[in-house]
Amino acid sequence: MAAGLRTVILLSFVLAVGFLLIILSCALWANWLPLLVALTFVLAPLPNAVFSHLASDEFASYENSGPVDLGRFTTSLIVITGFALPIVLAHSGIIDSKASAMSIVGGGLVYGTILAYSAAFNQSESEYD
Amino acid sequence: MSLPRADYDPRRVCHNPCPNVTLGKHRRTVGVYLAGALFALANWTFLDAAVLSAHAKSKWEDEPPVHVTFVDWIPGICSLLGYLVINMIDKDRVRGEEGFGDSRAVWRARLVLFIGFALMAGGLAGSVTVLILKYILMGYPPQFTYYGYANVSQSVALMLSAVVLWIAQNTSNEYEYNLTL
Repeated sequence: MAAGLRTVILLSFVLAVGFLLIILSCALWANWLPLLVALTFVLAPLPNAVFSHLASDEFASYENSGPVDLGRFTTSLIVITGFALPIVLAHSGIIDSKASAMSIVGGGLVYGTILAYSAAFNQSESEYD
Repeated sequence: MSLPRADYDPRRVCHNPCPNVTLGKHRRTVGVYLAGALFALANWTFLDAAVLSAHAKSKWEDEPPVHVTFVDWIPGICSLLGYLVINMIDKDRVRGEEGFGDSRAVWRARLVLFIGFALMAGGLAGSVTVLILKYILMGYPPQFTYYGYANVSQSVALMLSAVVLWIAQNTSNEYEYNLTL
C-alpha cells in the first residue's frame, strides 16, 4: 500500500506538471486555443472504458469484437487528434510553435498519467484491456 | 496463389481475399489502434491544408492565388463514405459461408462492398485529379501545391487504414474461432 500511495503522489505530480505546461502554453502567448489539447487528452481514454464495459457483459468469445474495436479505434483517433491539433495550429501560424511543443508535451504527460493510473490500479481486469 | 480449388468460382468477377492469417490477440489490438491512428492522420493532413489555406490571407498582403474550396473536400468525403460502407459490412457474409440464409444476401453484401471500394478508389482518383488539374497544371508555387498533395495523402492514408482494419479484424476472427473450438 505504501508503494501505491507513492505512485498516487507521483502520478498526481506528473498530472499537475502536464496541466501546468498546457495552461502555460496558452497563457504565455495569450492565445487559449491549445487548451483544446487538454480536453482532447482527458477525453481520450473514455471510449475504451465505456466500450470495454459494454463488451464484457456479453459472452466474451464471439460478440466482443465490434464494440471493443470501436472503442480502440476512437481512442487512437482522439490521441492522434491531440497530437495533431497543435501541430496544425502551429503550421498555419495561429499559435506559436513553442506553445505547440509545450502543449504536446503537457498533453502527453496528462495522457501518460491516465494510462499509468489505469495500468497500476486496474490489475484485476487487465486481461480484457 | 495457393488457394484450394473449391474456392475458385469462374462466375465471380471479384474475389475477396480474406487472409486467414492467425496472429496473436495483441496483433489485433495493435492493428485496430494503427487503423485509428492512420484514420486520424489522414483527416488531419487534409484539415491542415484547409486551415493553412484559410489563414493564408492574413500572412501575405495580397490575395493568395488559390484556396481550398469545396472541390478539394469532395474526394475526402467520398473516401470517408467508402470507409464507412466497407467497415459496416459483416465480413462473414462477404466470405459467403454456408448457413447464413440465402445466397442473395451474400451477393448483396458483395455488391455493397464493391460500392464501398469503388467510393474509396474514386476518392483517390478524384484527389489525384484535383492535384493535377487545380494545382500542378496551373503552376502554383510549392506552398499551394501542398494543398493538393495533402489531399492525395489523405485518400492514401484512408485506404491504408481500411486495409489495416480489415486485416486486423479478419485475423482475430479466425484466432478466436480456433480458441473456442
